[in-house]
Amino acid sequence: MTDVALEPMDDVEFPDDVHATSTGISNPKLAMWTYLASDCLLFGGLISTYLLYRNRPGNIPGLSGSSLRASELFNIPFTSMTSFVLLMSSLTMVLAVNSAIRKDVDRMRLWLVATAVLGGLFLGGQVYEFTEFYRYGLGFTSNVSASAFYTLTGLHGAHVAVGVLMLISAVVYAARRTLNAEAVEVLGLYWHFVDIVWVVIFAIVYLIP
Amino acid sequence: MSATIDVDDDSPVHPGEHHDHGPSDATYFKVFWVLVAITALEVSTYFWDVWFGESSWSLAVPLLILLMVVKFVLIASMFMHLRFDSKLLTRIFYFGLITACIVYVVALAVMNIFTDNGNPWFNDPPPEVTPSAVVTGETSNMGGMGG
Repeated sequence: MTDVALEPMDDVEFPDDVHATSTGISNPKLAMWTYLASDCLLFGGLISTYLLYRNRPGNIPGLSGSSLRASELFNIPFTSMTSFVLLMSSLTMVLAVNSAIRKDVDRMRLWLVATAVLGGLFLGGQVYEFTEFYRYGLGFTSNVSASAFYTLTGLHGAHVAVGVLMLISAVVYAARRTLNAEAVEVLGLYWHFVDIVWVVIFAIVYLIP
Repeated sequence: MSATIDVDDDSPVHPGEHHDHGPSDATYFKVFWVLVAITALEVSTYFWDVWFGESSWSLAVPLLILLMVVKFVLIASMFMHLRFDSKLLTRIFYFGLITACIVYVVALAVMNIFTDNGNPWFNDPPPEVTPSAVVTGETSNMGGMGG
């Protein structure tokens, strides 16, 4: 085997579309995609649990619980509106990423704020929905079906809430001119994933009887 | 206003990654309207039993799953740039997704969710239990997940 002489890194200049990582992909982006892949397993588990328990009433002899199921209380027109709001937030997020790539910081800030506001609206809708369900007597521990429903949709809501906090942080960093385009792109990946998960939850939990 | 984003030139990631390589804003708007149309079609299935009768559900359920997959792929490939980024990212993401699908479909199948009633898609409530059955201990497997 012949020895290969390594070129000193100091003398190497990277052309515009080559990255200084062994994969050619930036580490934050790779890390985010790996995290999102693992999150598929988390949400898959919770969706499966809901599917398993969705038709199971709580008033089984020997077990306490309400016979009410979340599916009996769904307000599809309202949830459709919140789904539309989240879909719209995906559009504003991708426009923010495009603005960041173009180095148009003012538009990027505008789209980031719009995304955060739409995310907040979605969360408000979820809080309203949960409050309505609770008012009708369906609490977290009412029965296994309710627990599965609240855990699934609540964890998704927590993801949205974290996303909104990150968006607000991004706006602050952008105002200080310390935000780079890659951070916006990685944040965008997270936000779109939250939207993708809702696409699945909306179809499987809300629309399929 | 002529504001620009500061690029961290000391980053190990070369700033050249962020060049104009994705679709234009107009393309994103087109994708968005397609997604809105698909969502509207999805929501319409909720009213199909009123419009077309109960039997329409046999068509609605597969259609909903198909539309869900189309929306998923559209968002992942266009909004998340999987179509334009390295194939490695696509492999990583879909590996996680497909693994999750396989694991949970197998787990649900083991729990008889697809087979324990006339409806192939979902499980059903546990069987009716009479007080006498409770007394004689016939409900010992009531907590079982198969229904």
